[in-house]
Amino acid sequence: MNLFVADPQWGWWIILYFFLGGIAAGAYFQALVMDVVGNDEDRELARAGYWLAFPLIALCGLFLTVDLSQPTRFWHMLFRSELVDAAPAAGWRLLAGAPLLKYWSPMSVGSWALTLFGLCSFLSFLGSLWPGGRLERLLRHGILGRVVAATGCGVGLFVASYTGVLLTATNQPFWSDNVLIGALFLTSAASTGLAAMLLLARVWGIGSPGALARLGKADRWALTLELVVFVSFLAAAGGWLVPVLRTWHGLVLVAGTLVVGLLAPLAVHRFADVSGRRAALALSALVLAGGFLLRYGLVTTPGELLERGPAVVDGAAAAAQKNPVSRVVHGDPTQPVGFSPEDGRLQGDGPGADPGNRRPDFRPRSKVFNGD
Amino acid sequence: MPEPVGFFTDTTLCIGCKACQVACHQWNDLPSRVPLPVLSGNSYDNTGSLSDLNWRHVKFIEQFSPDRNQAAWLMMSDVCKHCANAPCLEVCPTGALLRTEFDTVYINEPACNGCRDCIAACPFGVIHTSPSKGVAQKCTFCYDRLQHGLTPSCAQACPTQSILFGPLKQLQEKARARVAQLHKQGVEEAQLYGVDDNVLGGLNAFYLLVDKPETYGLPSEPKLPSRRVPRSSVAAIVAGILSLLGAVFAFRERTRRGRTPAAAPGEGGTR
Repeated sequence: MNLFVADPQWGWWIILYFFLGGIAAGAYFQALVMDVVGNDEDRELARAGYWLAFPLIALCGLFLTVDLSQPTRFWHMLFRSELVDAAPAAGWRLLAGAPLLKYWSPMSVGSWALTLFGLCSFLSFLGSLWPGGRLERLLRHGILGRVVAATGCGVGLFVASYTGVLLTATNQPFWSDNVLIGALFLTSAASTGLAAMLLLARVWGIGSPGALARLGKADRWALTLELVVFVSFLAAAGGWLVPVLRTWHGLVLVAGTLVVGLLAPLAVHRFADVSGRRAALALSALVLAGGFLLRYGLVTTPGELLERGPAVVDGAAAAAQKNPVSRVVHGDPTQPVGFSPEDGRLQGDGPGADPGNRRPDFRPRSKVFNGD
Repeated sequence: MPEPVGFFTDTTLCIGCKACQVACHQWNDLPSRVPLPVLSGNSYDNTGSLSDLNWRHVKFIEQFSPDRNQAAWLMMSDVCKHCANAPCLEVCPTGALLRTEFDTVYINEPACNGCRDCIAACPFGVIHTSPSKGVAQKCTFCYDRLQHGLTPSCAQACPTQSILFGPLKQLQEKARARVAQLHKQGVEEAQLYGVDDNVLGGLNAFYLLVDKPETYGLPSEPKLPSRRVPRSSVAAIVAGILSLLGAVFAFRERTRRGRTPAAAPGEGGTR
C-alpha cells in the first residue's frame, strides 16, 4: 500500500457519476436484453430503462465536465487538441483526422465509450418516446435495431465497469491493490439499474405483474452475483482490509454495501413478495442506497488512508515491507508485460505512451526564452 | 536526437539549504505560498512537500534515538523522477503529458484539462493541480533550458553538487562508483534508488540513499497502471457475461414459449 502519493481529489461529481452512470448503464443493457428476448409486456417495461439511461448519462457528462479544472477543454479527451488548435480553419475535417485513443488508459477508452453510449441510449430514448412509432419499430425489427442493440449492450457493460478498472489503474492505496473493482462496479450497475427501473415502473404504474415478477427475478440474480463478487473483492484485499476497516469511509464501504445494498435486499426477496408495491419500493430504495454507499466509500477511502498516514497501516505494512530493498520489483511479475507501449520501454527508447499531441511549431513554456 | 539526460541526487551531500528550490521558483516564475509558510512544529522544514508551487522540495527527515540523546538529519532534494515507464504519461487521456527529445516527461499546459488522472497515477505524489491555472503542474526538467544547452536551474544552483545533471549513462556510472566508495568507507547502508530498471524501468532522476526508501518517502514497489488493466478487464468481462446470462434467463419468455407453448401462460400470470 503506497501512502506516498498525492490525492487526486475526486469528490462528489465523480461519486455521483459512478453512481448514476452505473444506473444508466445497468438499466440500459438490461432493457436491451428485455427488448430482444422478452415478450411485449417486458418491452413495455424496457422503456423505463431507456427513459433512465439517456437522461442520466447526459447528466453524468455534465458532472464530468464540471469536475474538470478546465471544463471548456472536455473535448481534449477525444481529440489531439494541439493539432486542432494549431489549425482551427480546417475545422471538422481536422477534428475527424485527429482522434486520440490510448487503449491502455481506462479514462481515454472510457471517454469514447461514454460518447458511443450517449448515442445509442439517445436513439433508444427517442424510440421509446413514441410507443409504436416509426423509430421504435425500426429499432426493434430493422438492421439498425440490431446494430444499436449489440453496440449498446457492449458499451453499456463497458461503461458499467471501466470506472472500476480506472481506479485500479492508479497508484492510490487500496484502489491499486485490488483488481476486482471493475467487476464489482459492473454487478452493482446491474442491480442498481434494475432497482431504478423497478422504482420507476412502480411510481408511474407501468408494467404488468408478470413483467414485474421477471424484473424481480433478474434483480435477485444480479444481487446474488454482486454478493459473490463483493465477497471475492474483500478476499482479494487480503491484509489491506484491516487498515481499510480502520477508516470511517472504509467502514461505510464494507458495512454499507454488505448490509444495506446486499443482505437487506436479499432478505426482502426471501421473505416478502416483491410484486407487492411496498416490498418493491423497499427493495429499490435499499439497493440504490447500497449502490451509492459502495461508490461513496470506495472513492473516499484512499483519501482518508493518506490523511491518517502510516499509523493506519502499521501492522499490515510491517509485514509487507520487512525487507524493502530485496522487494524493489518492477510492478507485479505475475502480470502480463507489454499491454501498453510504456511498459518495458527502455531509457532513451522512443516516445512510449506519448500520443504525439503537439503542434508542429511546439516550444516549451519559458519566461526567459519565449516571454511566456 | 540528443541523448537521455538525468539528475543524480546524492543525499549524503545535501545540506538542506534549499537553494535548488529557490532557483526553481525563480526560473519557472513560481510564486511563493501566501500567506508565507511558518514552522510546522514537526520539522525544521518549512516548505512542506512537493506541490503545484514547489517543483523541487528539500525533505528534512529528522531521526532520533528512543532516549532522544542522538539525532540524525537525512536530507533529500525531491523532484519528479522522469520515469522510463511513466505512470502519469501512460494514463493521461489528453496527451498533455509528453516525452521530450531529452527523454524527460513534460506537461504541455495548453492541452491539459485538469482531469487529475495523472495525480492518481503518480506513485511519488509529484503532480498537483494549480488552483489558479487549472492544469497539472510538476518539474519540467527545465525543458526550455535544455533546448538552449543550459543546466537545469536546480542543479546549477546546488552548492554541494548533491544534485548532479548530465547524460544519464555517465551519471549512472558516477553513482555506482560513489556507492562503492561509500561502502569502502564503511557506510554499508548506502544504496541507489531508481538507477536500474527495477523501479518503473529506471528513473532519470535517481537517488543515493543511506536508509530504506520508505524512510525518504519513496515507495519500494511503484506500479505501472496498465499492468493491472488486463486482469481487471478479464474479471469485469466474466462478471459481464454472468450478468447478461442472468438477464437473458430471467426474461427468456420468447425462447421458452417457442419450445413449450403450454408452460408460458402459467409464468407470472401473464397472457
